[in-house]
Order: sequence, then C-alpha cells, then structure tokens
Amino acid sequence: MLLLQLLINGLQLGAIYALTAVGFALIFGSTKVFHVAHGAAFTLAGYLFWWSVNTQKWHWAVGLMIAIAVVVAFGLFMERCIYRPIQRHEGAFFTVFIAAFGMQIVVQNLVGTVFGRGFETVTVELSRAVELAPGLFVAPIAGLAIGVALVMFAALNLFLSRTQVGTGLRALADNPDLVRIFGLEPTRLAQVAFALGSALVVPAAAITVMTQGINPGIGAHIMLISLAATIVGGIGSLKGAAYGGMLLGIAESVAVWKLDPQWSEAVTFIILFVFIIFRPAGFLGRAQGAK
Amino acid sequence: MWAYLNNLAVLITINAILAVTLNFVLGYAGIFSMAHAVFFGVGAYTATLVAMKLGAGFLLSTAAGMSVAAVISLALALPALRVRGEYFVAASLGLQMLAVTVFSEWKVVTGGIGGIGNIPPARFPGFEISSPLQYLLLCLACLSLVMLAIAVLVRSSFGRSLKAIRDDETAASAFGKNVAVIKTLAVAVSSALAAVAGSLYAFYLSFVNVESFTLDTSVYLMAMVIIGGTATLLGPLVGTILILLLPAALSYLPGLPQTEIGSIQQIIYGLAMVLLMIFRPGGLWGFRDQPKGGR
Repeated sequence: MLLLQLLINGLQLGAIYALTAVGFALIFGSTKVFHVAHGAAFTLAGYLFWWSVNTQKWHWAVGLMIAIAVVVAFGLFMERCIYRPIQRHEGAFFTVFIAAFGMQIVVQNLVGTVFGRGFETVTVELSRAVELAPGLFVAPIAGLAIGVALVMFAALNLFLSRTQVGTGLRALADNPDLVRIFGLEPTRLAQVAFALGSALVVPAAAITVMTQGINPGIGAHIMLISLAATIVGGIGSLKGAAYGGMLLGIAESVAVWKLDPQWSEAVTFIILFVFIIFRPAGFLGRAQGAK
Repeated sequence: MWAYLNNLAVLITINAILAVTLNFVLGYAGIFSMAHAVFFGVGAYTATLVAMKLGAGFLLSTAAGMSVAAVISLALALPALRVRGEYFVAASLGLQMLAVTVFSEWKVVTGGIGGIGNIPPARFPGFEISSPLQYLLLCLACLSLVMLAIAVLVRSSFGRSLKAIRDDETAASAFGKNVAVIKTLAVAVSSALAAVAGSLYAFYLSFVNVESFTLDTSVYLMAMVIIGGTATLLGPLVGTILILLLPAALSYLPGLPQTEIGSIQQIIYGLAMVLLMIFRPGGLWGFRDQPKGGR
C-alpha cells in the first residue's frame, strides 16, 4: 500500500516536473538557447501566485493571470535583452549559460529579499487528502496536476502540428536557415517559443505552491530537474522531456520506499549519470550527445 | 583588526587556489565543471581523517587528500569524455548534488551535518604551524606552488594539447592527440590541486562540515573565474579578491540591513556575470572574447 501511495505522489510530482521540462525543451529545441533561468521563471510564478492569493486575497484565477503575465514578460526579456545580444557577437554555449545562470542567482535573491526566505504555501480545499483505501491518502489536487499536464500537452501538440506558427516553431528547431529562406522571422518565432515555454511553468508552480510549498531556492532545484529530464528524455524531443520529467518524479518519490528521504534527490542524479554515460541521446533523442 | 585582515587574507589565498585550479579545466581544457567544491571537500575530509586517525603531518595528509580527489575525479572525467557542453554541465551539477548528499549523510566518515571539529594543527617534521600568520605564509606558499605548476603545465606540450582539444576536439584527435588520456589527466590534476586548498582549509579552521562544499561554493568559484577572466593566469586571482572583498566592503555601507548583505552580494555578482557575458565575455582581466569553453 505504501508503494501505491508513493506511486501516486510520484505521478503528481512527475506531472509538475514534466510541465517545466517540456517548457525548457520547447525553448531549447527551437532556439538552441540553454535557458537555465527557466528555474527563475518557476520561482517568480510561484511567489506571484502565493502573493496574489494569500497576501492580497485575490481570486486564484487572478493570481494565475498575474503569474502568466509576469513570467511571459520575463521570458521575452531574457530572449530580447540577454540572449540575443550575446548571440549576435558569439554564439558560445558557455557564454549564454553563464548569463542565464547569473540571472537565476539575481532572481532567487531578489525574491528572497522581497518575499522572505521561508517556506510559503497556499492552503486550498483541494490539497486536503482523502483516505481512499486503508492507509492510502490521495488529495484531489494530485488528479488536478495530472489532468492539467495532460490537457497542456494535448493543447501544445495541437498548436505545434495544426497552426502555422506551430509549424514554424518545429521548422526552426530543424533548420533556422531554411526558416529564414521561407520568409519567416526566426526572432519572432523565438519569442513565441520563450513566451509559451515560460507560460507552461505557471500551472506547475501554482500546484507546487498548493502542495509542497516553495522557497526562493526552489528555482535551482527546478532548473536541475528540467535539465535532467530533458537529457534523460533526449534533447530535441518534447515527448521525451515529458516522459523524462514523469520518470524523475516517480523515481524521486518511490526512492523513499527503500531509502531515507534525504537520498531522493541523489536518485535523480544517479539516473541522469547513468543516462549520460550509457545513453547520452536519451530514450527519445534524435541528436547524438557527443558532438 | 590585524586578526581580521589575516583571516581575510588566508581565505582569499585558499579560494584563489580553488579558482586557479578550476580555471585550469574550465579555461584551458574547456571542461565546464560545476562540481569543483566536491574536490575541495574531498581534500578537506581526507586530510582531516588522515591527520586525526593516523596522526599524520600536513604533507602526508595533503598528499592523501590529493590522491583521493584524483581518483574521485574519474567520476567527472568519465562524462567529460562521453559528452560536451550542456550535457556535461548537467553531469557535473549532478555530481555536486550527489556529493553534498554523501557529505551530509555518510556520518561515520564526514560527521554528517555537524561536521568534524578539533582537527589538530598542521605539523611539519620539526615544527608545528599554530599562529594565523604562519598559516597565511603556508597558504601563500601553497598558492605559489599551485600557480607555478599550472603556469608550467599550460606552457608545456600538455597545455598546448589541452587548448587544441578545447578549440577543436576532432582536429586534435586527427593530429594524433589522445583526447581521452589528456582530458582525464587535466581533470585529475585540477582536482588534486583543489584538494590542497581543502587540506589547508581544514587545518586552518580545525573544523569542517558540509556547508563549505555545497553547490553555492561551486557557483562562487565559477563566478570568481568568470569575472576575473577565463584562460588567464591572473584573472582568477583578480576575481577571487573582488568577490571576497565585496561582503567586507558592503558591510561598511551605511543603511544596509545586515541580514540582506548575503543577498545583495549575490545579486551583485549575478548581475556582474550577466553584464560581463553581454559586453566582455573574456572577463575583467581577459582580452576580448577569445576563450570558449564547451561550444
């Protein structure tokens, strides 16, 4: 029964990880920008949601809207004012990575200074666990998390396959030069990727606030998970990132079955390590790791 | 006042050893390690254990720390051989997180979160280092040796091979360079030298715990190298001094709440990293944008 409980918790955690990882993978796949500040977007979204609902007593939908607006603006700002100037004179992975990492540090500390450094949660009716079977406690929010993730992925999939902008994004991932020849603007498409990828973080952040709670340091953790999930799933594959996030969430949760909880994060990285050494292309990757 | 300055100087020297050795893999070899604090920690814990359990002196303890760090560095070298760029960053981050868990959970060896205290002072055959000033001299001597070693290595044929691999791995291997061996050696050398800093740190404070070897430390070290300038000998030194003097300078500013100094300091160096990458990717000491790690 404990195993079943852990599996359900893992699914809920996995849904959150999958949402953030897919956002990261969407940005990385189509623009080739290693957007490490994705974790910062998560922190921003979580705190804005908490601030709107708990401090300002606004409706949760208002909180979500504010979080989406700010996070999309953050993504666009990063693309326009940080990554694009860097890539103009030199496209080195290293330079982009450092800049994004610096931004992550700035946001984490700004959030800590403004909102405080403690754990914050929003308590809602949905996060109250119900005993489904003896010893099996499930909160409705677990179902909500999984449902939201599925709906988001279905919508994203439709968008990418059915609309013109979506097709453009996929083309950008494959061959930016050809996109330019076809008369589409790569920079415009890159902005769409950043806006969409960042917005995907909001539901994940809101659900995290309503379940485990957040602190300013969570951005770094989320960044690591998104990275790990993208690599485990295979760089360049959105489906891979979603499965990767799910796998890591379940592994982190089920690890508690046999190990002390302190080791659950270590389990994530052992999985990542094994993948990097034995299968750097991930389970759905197109690109080879060693270039 | 004198004690304060002496303490600051010792910490700057120890961090400079770490920054210089990190720059060796990051700047010259293009191996973007976010796990440098791991080897700092391994050096500190090993030296502590050898000194306390076997009663060894400074030289033996440090040598033991260096050997263990070199062996553990294989965990970093292995992914570095398989993948480059973004994959390797993730792998080194993973190693760093794993190491923190091991440092804080393997209580028999590391003392857990409480750490290990009462480390005996550093002994040499014939005399014992006890006063802070003597420690400063010892640290300076070690820093000079480490910098000398790296300067010699960088100018040797080994150093040229490293830079060749950094700039174009395929071309270097086509020229008959054994990429795997050279990369592994570079990581081992850098990690072993970082362990020297760990040993100095443990003997100086006579206390170690996991707090000093977390991801934050690795990030600080990376910032020192980046802000100072990668692939230069003096750049990391400049970066170390700037970053360690920052909190001291901030505490003299009027009107800043003491509790926020840590955050403000991190915001400053985070911003510095962002702005430098946009306007001067070679770092303060570096020239233009020639160094490239990863790709």
